[in-house]
Amino acid sequence: MSTLNAAIVGLGMTEMGKVYGRTATQFAVEAVGKAASDAGLGVADLDGLLVNCGLGRQVGMPLAADLGLRDLSVLSEIQSFGASAGVMVMQAAAAIAAGQATAVACVFADVPLTEGKRTGAAYADPKFRLRPGFLGIPPAGGLLGPNVGYALAARRHMDAYGTTSEQLGHVAVSTRKWAELNPAAQMRAPMTIDDHQSSRYIVDPLHLLDCCLVSNGAIAVIVTSGERARELAQPPVYLHGGAQSHPGYIDERDSEFGLVTGAKKSGERAMRMAGVRPEQIGVREIYDCYTYTTLVTLEDYGFCEKGEGGPLAESGALAPGGSLPTNTGGGQLSGYYMWGMTPLSEAVIQARGQGGERQVADHDYVLVSGNGGILAHHSTLILSPHPKEA
Amino acid sequence: MSAKDMLPIDRDDASAAWFDAAADGRLLIRKCPAGHVSAPHTTTCPRCGSTTLQWIEAAGTGVLASYAVINRRDADPLPVAIVELDEGPWMRMQLQDVDPASLATNDPVEVRFAAPEGGEPIPYAVPRAAG
Ligand SMILES: [Zn+2]
Repeated sequence: MSTLNAAIVGLGMTEMGKVYGRTATQFAVEAVGKAASDAGLGVADLDGLLVNCGLGRQVGMPLAADLGLRDLSVLSEIQSFGASAGVMVMQAAAAIAAGQATAVACVFADVPLTEGKRTGAAYADPKFRLRPGFLGIPPAGGLLGPNVGYALAARRHMDAYGTTSEQLGHVAVSTRKWAELNPAAQMRAPMTIDDHQSSRYIVDPLHLLDCCLVSNGAIAVIVTSGERARELAQPPVYLHGGAQSHPGYIDERDSEFGLVTGAKKSGERAMRMAGVRPEQIGVREIYDCYTYTTLVTLEDYGFCEKGEGGPLAESGALAPGGSLPTNTGGGQLSGYYMWGMTPLSEAVIQARGQGGERQVADHDYVLVSGNGGILAHHSTLILSPHPKEA
Repeated sequence: MSAKDMLPIDRDDASAAWFDAAADGRLLIRKCPAGHVSAPHTTTCPRCGSTTLQWIEAAGTGVLASYAVINRRDADPLPVAIVELDEGPWMRMQLQDVDPASLATNDPVEVRFAAPEGGEPIPYAVPRAAG
């Protein structure tokens, strides 16, 4: 991808949150339609479609038929869990560079919430996890769902670097301050450190306010070439760098699980491709399924020294008015939970300069992270309103 | 020993020998011809790529590599951990007979088994006197 020449030209977001009575496919159709019209295109102008289903796996390649698309030259389901949004954009850019497609929609849709069932039940439902044999052993002992895995990861970081629950709380509070400025965010009531500390434990060391929301809905983006982007309706958001890293931790003594994530190598590769250093990045949209992931990801990207994420959060640098604006739409903690489409959608808004009250003045480079599979998969995008110089 | 906080699971072909040993209270792990030791679920040695792995019996002792406490709605808090076996591999399992408020990384533990009704034996860890 040395001849990276792609841009995000359309963004479509459905209503998100406790929205019932609609299928994942119906959400996806709406999001793709909105993204196309945002770009000044019709759905019929799309010749590529990449689909990322959520946990429910209720949307996939048949979406093409629902959209009435009968001659796609690129169609795939993409699954890298929370890293999928970044991976889809990179795959779309590669298809465009190879001449295989000219306008590719990338969509995520999920309906984990069922009316009357408590929030998040889908993500800890034993029927999704209790497989026979070795895979079933940890869940059989109670280690069920992502909360436990991230709590074990966070504890290692706290032990190794002295990170405190209050410092994780500062991530939650900073992120909420951004959400207060975002009309699309689900949680906009002011939050204090006391609120965080007194919220019940979900899995100690993670309090309720360390954990992301769960939302029904869909988000889509349209990717096309840099040249074509300049003829369309919205300010183009150019892709300057994109990379992945899948750490493949071996579960044994001296593992870096919880301490160093895929953000380290993925970030280095993406920034090298973009030709930027961390200090040139004005806006950070970090995959924040938990406060801890924001903190460890910022360290791994080099926005502070390893182990200094806690003091960095405590300093207020991540909040509105701080030196390192981070998760400017309220992230997944306070905004909306659409896997990697949460950070990507806010990155597009910020790169276009359409953030309204929460717009960050320096948005020449916007970094987007994706993280999935309990730190097993990572993607990084570097976006900019300016074309990449050859 | 108690299986009250466990859910039953079935064996499959890959895990049959492991569960048979667990029913005798023995913890099996994997070893390749080059001597690399890995966790029970391993089918290919992550160090050398060997697929001819044999079962060896682990000492059944280790330390907490990490721990967490699940706050449950209608039951006592449930402590869980990553246990680092003396041989090196990690296993994620429930903790029993511990005070959830005074756990610490590197606490010494030993692995035992309990079988929930209708299921195979599931490993859990209890405190071990140091030394
Ligand atoms: Zn080996």
